[in-house]
Amino acid sequence: MSSRDDILGRVRAGLQRNAGNAAAGREIMQAAMEGRVEGPKPAMDTAPAALLERFRIKSELQSSTVEVVAQESDVPAAVARYLAAMKLPTTAVVQPALAALEWAAAGLKVEARGARDADLVGITGCFCAVAETGTLMMCSSPDTPAAVSLLPETHVAVVRAARILPYMEDAWNLARAELGTLPRAVNFISGPSRTGDIEQTIVLGAHGPYRVHLVIVEN
Amino acid sequence: MRVGLFVTCLVDLMRPSIGFAALKLLENAGCEVVVPDTQTCCGQPAWNSGDKPGAEALAKKTIAEFEGFDYVVVPSGSCGDHIRTEYLGMFATEPEWRDRATAMAARTYELTDFLVSVLKVEAVPGNYTGSVTYHDSCTGLRSLGIKAQPRALLAKVKGVELKEMNGCEECCGFGGTFSVKFGDVSAAIAERKCDFIHSSGAKAVAGGDLGCLLNIEGKLRRMGDETTRVLHVAEILAGEV
Amino acid sequence: MEIKSMRFKANASASLANVVLQGNLKNAKGKFVTKRAEALRDLDDFEGTRDAAKAIRNKVIDNLDLWLERFERKALDTGAHVLWAKDGAEVCRLVTEIARKHGVKKVTKSKSMLSEEAGLNQALEAAGIQPVETDLGEYILQVDNNEPPSHIIAPAVHKSLDDVADLFHKVHGTPRKTEIPALTREAREVLRGHFMTAEMGLSGGNFLVAETGSVALVTNEGNGRMVTTMPKVHVVITGIEKVIPTLEDLSTLMRLLPRSATGQSISNYFSILTGVKKPEEHDGPEHLYFVLVDSGRADVVGGDFHEMLRCIRCGACMNHCPVYQTIGGHAYGWVYPGPMGSVLTPLYAGIENSIDLPHAATLCNQCGVVCPVGIPLPELLRKLREKQTDAGLRPLTERIGLRLWAWVAQQPTLYALGARFGVRYLKWLAGKSDRISLLPMAPEWTRGREFPAPQGKTFREMYAARRAAQ
Repeated sequence: MSSRDDILGRVRAGLQRNAGNAAAGREIMQAAMEGRVEGPKPAMDTAPAALLERFRIKSELQSSTVEVVAQESDVPAAVARYLAAMKLPTTAVVQPALAALEWAAAGLKVEARGARDADLVGITGCFCAVAETGTLMMCSSPDTPAAVSLLPETHVAVVRAARILPYMEDAWNLARAELGTLPRAVNFISGPSRTGDIEQTIVLGAHGPYRVHLVIVEN
Repeated sequence: MRVGLFVTCLVDLMRPSIGFAALKLLENAGCEVVVPDTQTCCGQPAWNSGDKPGAEALAKKTIAEFEGFDYVVVPSGSCGDHIRTEYLGMFATEPEWRDRATAMAARTYELTDFLVSVLKVEAVPGNYTGSVTYHDSCTGLRSLGIKAQPRALLAKVKGVELKEMNGCEECCGFGGTFSVKFGDVSAAIAERKCDFIHSSGAKAVAGGDLGCLLNIEGKLRRMGDETTRVLHVAEILAGEV
Repeated sequence: MEIKSMRFKANASASLANVVLQGNLKNAKGKFVTKRAEALRDLDDFEGTRDAAKAIRNKVIDNLDLWLERFERKALDTGAHVLWAKDGAEVCRLVTEIARKHGVKKVTKSKSMLSEEAGLNQALEAAGIQPVETDLGEYILQVDNNEPPSHIIAPAVHKSLDDVADLFHKVHGTPRKTEIPALTREAREVLRGHFMTAEMGLSGGNFLVAETGSVALVTNEGNGRMVTTMPKVHVVITGIEKVIPTLEDLSTLMRLLPRSATGQSISNYFSILTGVKKPEEHDGPEHLYFVLVDSGRADVVGGDFHEMLRCIRCGACMNHCPVYQTIGGHAYGWVYPGPMGSVLTPLYAGIENSIDLPHAATLCNQCGVVCPVGIPLPELLRKLREKQTDAGLRPLTERIGLRLWAWVAQQPTLYALGARFGVRYLKWLAGKSDRISLLPMAPEWTRGREFPAPQGKTFREMYAARRAAQ
């Protein structure tokens, strides 16, 4: 007997599986898959301005830094200002999805591609953001490779205000509507990587970025 | 109102004054109190040690002795909970006993809970002068919700100054047979409790379960503390100190 | 992993005597407990969320076979392979075979308790494949002579900064560093090289999503993302009970898991991984394997300990356990410490191999109160005690003593006589003192504390005398 059959056989024996309770079980399963019941969620003001404000506050609590700009064309200059203020390199890898912005005009030298170990700054967009916890939702694709938000020491993410949603449940619904199926990797990111493994003392910058800077585009 | 007082085996053996204090508090509040003299133990040690037949036999004995009263009152959260909660799960295959256990459980109360929730006492006979910190025993607190009741009653005793300790809800390390099976671990947990008590600055610690109190008193004395008094809340409330 | 649960008592005493460990435990306790309490405050409805989480987990484990089949079908649709392992030996065999098939020489690992259960690192090493633990805590333990973890969330919680400073100095051959950020950077640099060169990444799985055939991973350090993004092969090793229905359910459970574990409203990284890299993608594994592990779980389904299968491995029960807080995790002697471990070890590693564990609890129910999926841990521990007694596994003296005591307690006259004798004996032991410093029938009690002397007569006697006088 294969291990699969052996394991499932013993699970079925434990549940005293028979035709009747299998049918009932399938109904429960079907109802769960179709109902997609959401659990209790913390109350939130979902007006756009309130969502942006909550997202900013929660992001800062996660040790991200935040700047709000008026429109997308302001992004390269904002990124350049941030990198200069932090005395960080002006060379960056950018997700291909953002290649069209005027990076060079802002004095930045960017390459649109997947990330490499030596990259120090990674610039990404995000699929959407979650106000509840101050979280970015990143969906991997050829235009949005996952490692750009992971390998570099600095991660700069561009967030469109209109894509800040109240809850993670809203993010799933948006993904279902726009993408159909889930991409290979959905990464929810909430601030720079960290560890507390030595004496429960939180240190920023474990294996991923040391710092995450969010540029929110209002319009 | 006829109340059956279940004094508990530990009080019977170690500290009868707690039983008399409970008696006084109940009579003072107008109850007719009966203490069945065949009572022994609720069976909790057997149940918690994995001796189901022994626990069931003692549960049946206790039910038979006490089910005729309007209420059953116990000066212990853990014995009270055993009768109120655990008896119900014991008789899955004996419907008659399950029904009798259920009927009695609804009328079984921990002492301070009974005084506050059922009798709604306005005054207590005790007088005690000094600072007291309160140790919330685990089962009473987490299973029966005994938290505000003893404090509300202590507030009625003139002269009692309640000084809450940090960690008042943390286990003292007694745990019944745990305290003799793993004496070193149990005593180390008790030491933490004693540190909390000392930090509170109170001159006495009170609680609602004698097992915890014996553990705490034993550790305080071994730590060289000869002065902090260790009292059952009923003793303070009844003035039987 | 070698089972050392039989030596619980000796291990516990050693832990009590370990000054460094005691200091670290005190420190850790405060942080975990306080942070959890703070993090729960911004959930408006903790109880409601917990009820929902419990219902989600019950829904799956009550029909586990159906959900497993459903998950398997969806995972296969995404291009993943699904393998099944009955026990640790089969986990080791399957993972080694996958590694060989893909010509793997090095495996980077993010935390997997199942791999600890199986002793996978030793098996990989024996097959000439290098396993590299990448969670900082796990890495510290691996380079310290493969020391076992002492906590499921904070594996190296028993080690101090000085311990780690000495260790890295010795192992890396670098100047001794004493700042935690510097030590962390040193580990990052060493491990980055491994992340970029390993051909295979190995992870556990916090949840398996039946709706999408995905694995969900919760990490803070980013190592989970590394091992599932950089190597060409990703192997997920996870227990068969980890399935959940939908992405919505995942969101509900995520409101509780990080809060219960580390006091975070969400972990830094929460990754939902589905299928393999498409040809035009820049990163991600080309091969994805799920190894669904039984190792005792299937036999728990539907039995007395069924509810334990709800466990989501947050560690809140141990963080809040007075016994764990006092002795740490190693004393428990296997993969899972604390209350959940005292239930899981007897179930998965043998009830006869863990005689002490179900008894090593005060039944204070702090664990049950904090459990985010409402597992009645004290009740399960008590049931295990019953199983031990029924199986004749408890010491004969204890069993006879309990039965004798229970029998006497059913004979009121005999009991009253025994109590009269007992109280006088105790009083005699105390003499003029208000305490007994050596209790011959329970020396364990008086080794660490006094036993207060009884008042002198039983309540029963005094009450009868009072009634007679009235």
